[in-house]
Amino acid sequence: MRRRAPAIAALVVLAALASVAAASATVDRAAAPSAAASADRQLISCGKVVTMGMLAPITGPAASLGKPQVDWAKYYVAQHNKVNKKHKLRLQFGDTVLGGPGGTAEAVKAAQSFGGNVLGVVGPAGSNEVKATTATLKGAGLAFVSGSATNTTITTDGTRTGFFFRTVPPDAQQSKDVSTYITKTLKAKDVYIIDDQEAYSTGLADEVQSQLKAAGVSVSRDGVSQQQSDFSALIAKIPRSTDVVYIPWQLPPKGKALGEQMRSAGKGSIKLMGSDGLFDPDFASVGTNVYDSFFPVSSKSAVVKAFTKSHGGNGEFFGAPSYVAAQVVGQAIDRACKNGTASRAEVRAQVRKTNLKTSLLGIPISYDKFGDIKRKKFGIWKSNGTDFKPVG
Amino acid sequence: MADDVTQPRIGVDEWVASVEGKRERYRGPVGWLRRGWDSSPPAARLLVFVVPAVIFPFVTSEGNLFRYGLITLLYALLGLGLNVTVGFAGLLDLGYIAFFGFGAYTYGYVASAHANHHWPAELAIPLAIAVAAAVGFIVGFPSRRLVGDYLAIVTLFFGQAFVVFVNNANRINFWPFNHTDLTGGANGLDNIDPLNVFGWKVNTTKEFYLFTLGAFLLVMIVLYFVSESRTGRAWKALREDPLAAEVMSMPVNRLKLMAFVFGAGIAGFAGAIYGSVQTGAFPGDYDIGLLITIYAIVILGGAGSLAGVIVGALIVNGVPELLRDSNQAEWLFYTALVILVLAKVRPWQKLVVVVGGTLGLGFALHAIADAWFPRWTAGQPNDGKLAHWVSHWMVLPSHATQLANWAYVLTIALILVLTLLHGWWRTIVFIPTIYVAAFAWENLLVENTAGATRFLLLGALLVVLMNVRPQGLFGTARVEIV
Amino acid sequence: MNWSLFWDLTVSGVTLGSVYALVALGYSMVYGILKLLNFAHGDVYMIGAFMGWFALHWLGGPVNPSVTAGLVVVFMFVFAMLACGGLGVVIERFAYRPLRNAPRIAPLISALGVSFFLQNSALLLFGANFRDYDTFDLIGAKTYNYKDIFLSVPQILTIVSAIGLMVGLTLLVARTKIGKAMRATSFDREAASMMGIDVDRVIASTFFIGSALAGAAGVMFGLVFGQIYHFMGFLAGLKGFTAAVIGGIGSIPGAMLGGLLVGLAESYATGYLPQGSTFQNLYVFALLIAIIIIRPQGLLGKADVNKV
Repeated sequence: MRRRAPAIAALVVLAALASVAAASATVDRAAAPSAAASADRQLISCGKVVTMGMLAPITGPAASLGKPQVDWAKYYVAQHNKVNKKHKLRLQFGDTVLGGPGGTAEAVKAAQSFGGNVLGVVGPAGSNEVKATTATLKGAGLAFVSGSATNTTITTDGTRTGFFFRTVPPDAQQSKDVSTYITKTLKAKDVYIIDDQEAYSTGLADEVQSQLKAAGVSVSRDGVSQQQSDFSALIAKIPRSTDVVYIPWQLPPKGKALGEQMRSAGKGSIKLMGSDGLFDPDFASVGTNVYDSFFPVSSKSAVVKAFTKSHGGNGEFFGAPSYVAAQVVGQAIDRACKNGTASRAEVRAQVRKTNLKTSLLGIPISYDKFGDIKRKKFGIWKSNGTDFKPVG
Repeated sequence: MADDVTQPRIGVDEWVASVEGKRERYRGPVGWLRRGWDSSPPAARLLVFVVPAVIFPFVTSEGNLFRYGLITLLYALLGLGLNVTVGFAGLLDLGYIAFFGFGAYTYGYVASAHANHHWPAELAIPLAIAVAAAVGFIVGFPSRRLVGDYLAIVTLFFGQAFVVFVNNANRINFWPFNHTDLTGGANGLDNIDPLNVFGWKVNTTKEFYLFTLGAFLLVMIVLYFVSESRTGRAWKALREDPLAAEVMSMPVNRLKLMAFVFGAGIAGFAGAIYGSVQTGAFPGDYDIGLLITIYAIVILGGAGSLAGVIVGALIVNGVPELLRDSNQAEWLFYTALVILVLAKVRPWQKLVVVVGGTLGLGFALHAIADAWFPRWTAGQPNDGKLAHWVSHWMVLPSHATQLANWAYVLTIALILVLTLLHGWWRTIVFIPTIYVAAFAWENLLVENTAGATRFLLLGALLVVLMNVRPQGLFGTARVEIV
Repeated sequence: MNWSLFWDLTVSGVTLGSVYALVALGYSMVYGILKLLNFAHGDVYMIGAFMGWFALHWLGGPVNPSVTAGLVVVFMFVFAMLACGGLGVVIERFAYRPLRNAPRIAPLISALGVSFFLQNSALLLFGANFRDYDTFDLIGAKTYNYKDIFLSVPQILTIVSAIGLMVGLTLLVARTKIGKAMRATSFDREAASMMGIDVDRVIASTFFIGSALAGAAGVMFGLVFGQIYHFMGFLAGLKGFTAAVIGGIGSIPGAMLGGLLVGLAESYATGYLPQGSTFQNLYVFALLIAIIIIRPQGLLGKADVNKV
């Protein structure tokens, strides 16, 4: 008997729990949509300070990517608050620990930590983070504008239309510009593509590969883990007759390591082409036959100059699109706040109506029905040994 | 007590247990709680957990429910599975997270737009469990004869191999997978369906929470009976001494394999729920970092203890979440400090010296700095009331990075030294240790609460806990007879 | 057959193998004596790489070192080895010694905790950014060749110093008193302590030597591959560990052989197998599992006799 009693008790508990669950579920199903809708349209008084959320990898393995994004977004907010006397913007950060132990759940937890006062969100950085946080942010009715998630399908699949926007053109655009440059200007016959096995990289590599193949270029493809810094065996495999090595990677120091190891293996004369993730003086310092594709940030622009001055040293250009993202969200909030109150739905509508004639990225920003910028363009840059200069 | 004698307690040497009992005679409220806990029936213990868990979703916000409730439950569910393999059977399985991944990917494959299947959960979840268990069998079968650490190595590599596999399984271009997209590669599987259990669409956080709670309780109750069953007792015998178990004619290899498969199945179950919660399965989510987290949960709670898993999950998931907000972190840090001092410094004379000394040292230094080195108090205190109060006691230099780094290193050194000292020396060193630690906290750690700080504190917690209580919070002390 | 590719791969494999072998030695020695998998070993190696970087910058940095490049490199090695050796002793004293009689799993979790702690402390103190050794600025990008075999200066440096360290270690274990005490302790700890050997001291010195070797490996890695960061210890630890197991854990020549094999296997897999670079780790793990299943004690390990 002694052993039976807990069994019976346990089953009773379980049954009770199941009935509670079923009861609450039926209640929830009826209540949920209207609850969400009301949160969505709930008016928040703009008052003196309005809050904007930002999701970025502040720590973790990808912390070196998050830092420029945070710095640039903070810079926009500081600029905004100097000029705008009516209300001030405040950034609330959520750390997504991209690549960390908790995986994408960490990003969702960060998104869930935003309070009811957040009107719009900048970020998140990675395409997989965008996917994972969609349910949360969409459920809360928030507009989220990323300055680095370039995966082509995250806008076109329609799951987050009207909620998700980005200030960077999708991979499809970048790959087109890159492969055109490789075939038309560099006139390459033999291209070696190495991805870094992350979503961003493989997506871009796949697209460039198929476009180059279509143009009749002979393409070899390889991948290397982002954690690896030893490329010697890989380099040994790259034939000396290769014209261009294309590396759409995320970490500029890795690009530099590859470049230097190629040099030490006597293959330094092969042209090296990076992507927006590698746009950094660190990568440019490899040599003068290094190319990169990036948004045409105008390094002469007053904003860029002022930022570089206030942050000392390099311009952390990888974060520039996040400045524009903060600008898009910030201005949408400003417009929604004209009558003193704003709701998340209003902010979303205003983001959709964004119309910047010019931006830091050198292109006008306005959105098509998917949430992509209408005028997509990538610049090709070439290193002068220390820094990148635009060539196309 | 009389009952206990008639029932042999496997894994616990009677003499050792009695010594342990004498040593662990807690006094005051802790002892009262402990005795109450030990003497209450399992069903009552379960209620202690179930009642707050059922009330929680109705009193908190959706965000908190997700961060503190749902994720904790998922980790605890994962912990239960690991507890079978590691806690019951003593097999060091370091590829455990891969089974979790198999669960999530299986569910994602049959219930998303990826392959255009939309199975209901009552079919998809059993499939996920079956796939994970089958993979567990495949991995376990050749490894069943490997002892201890070698098993750890093989499974660790299996876990690594899983990540590489899902990362690339969208473009394996050799036989027999000619260009099939199994896993979506680095992009993962997106837009996974919400769970659809017999027509009940589990969609909101609250629904997910309740579903997971039900799943957790189900697994927990099953495990309770399994652990008390013939097989469960055999596992424990195997854990304590494989050789003796074999001599007692237990089918050692089969028992190991069973534990392995059982654990894998539970992980698969958790994986299916997780995939649906995340609305996606991404390769980076099933990496070694999560494995360490789950291990920490199981060992912290006490390997082999079911209640320990819950407490472990609450600590390992809850503490970093509490620390996320620097204001909360500030409160947590100073509360922990005060509790530590109150609990560790005895008798009251020493306590007075430590408290008085620390406060005095702080105010004196602050006054000196204020008078002669204004730069040293020029730093901006963080937001929040507590930080503001502390700024009257703690020096906050304006550019403290370098100094704070050294203070951090010094803190570690002082803490280590402190463990070696005794008597009044210990009391005296306690004072600067607290101050330097608080300095490092205010000037360095609190700014990084969202990342490095919370994880390094977790690491330190593991080391300290293993030193203080190698058997875990709810574990039973055992002696290995050599 | 393309011999130039073959030699390139071989050289890169041997270089990498030397680094792995040094990491493996630390694992193997500690396991031999304590039967403990020291998961924090990879992070000690990471700390070694950072210490080498700091040593380099205290001497004026790679571009304008205040003493000759040769001396700088020697100082980097010595400093990193001493610092890591000390760190190893501290870790042993505070994280493992109190657990020597605890259940086997407890020190393992303690080791995981140390690993977590070191990694995040490094992130906190040194930042998330990668750091460059800029070896080319320090010792030049010159390569030497014999026919098709190309060797760069850092590669020569790595291989030569690894051989030197391993010879030194072998002599230490075979010829000196402390070496004898180590062998005795690893053979039977209790009996050794009864014969008047101070077991605590022997274990501490084992940790010192093992960690110092990991520190040296960290510096070598920095010199050859240029870049270091807080998370680098994980993968290297895993590989060093693989090497130790392949060679026969607990065996010193085994660790060296294992390191070399893993390095070469990685290199040849990248060069010759389908999608080799992508699946590189899988191929290495497959090798490991094959060896464990065929010869569980490793290539040079002695089969364990189970005593009761």
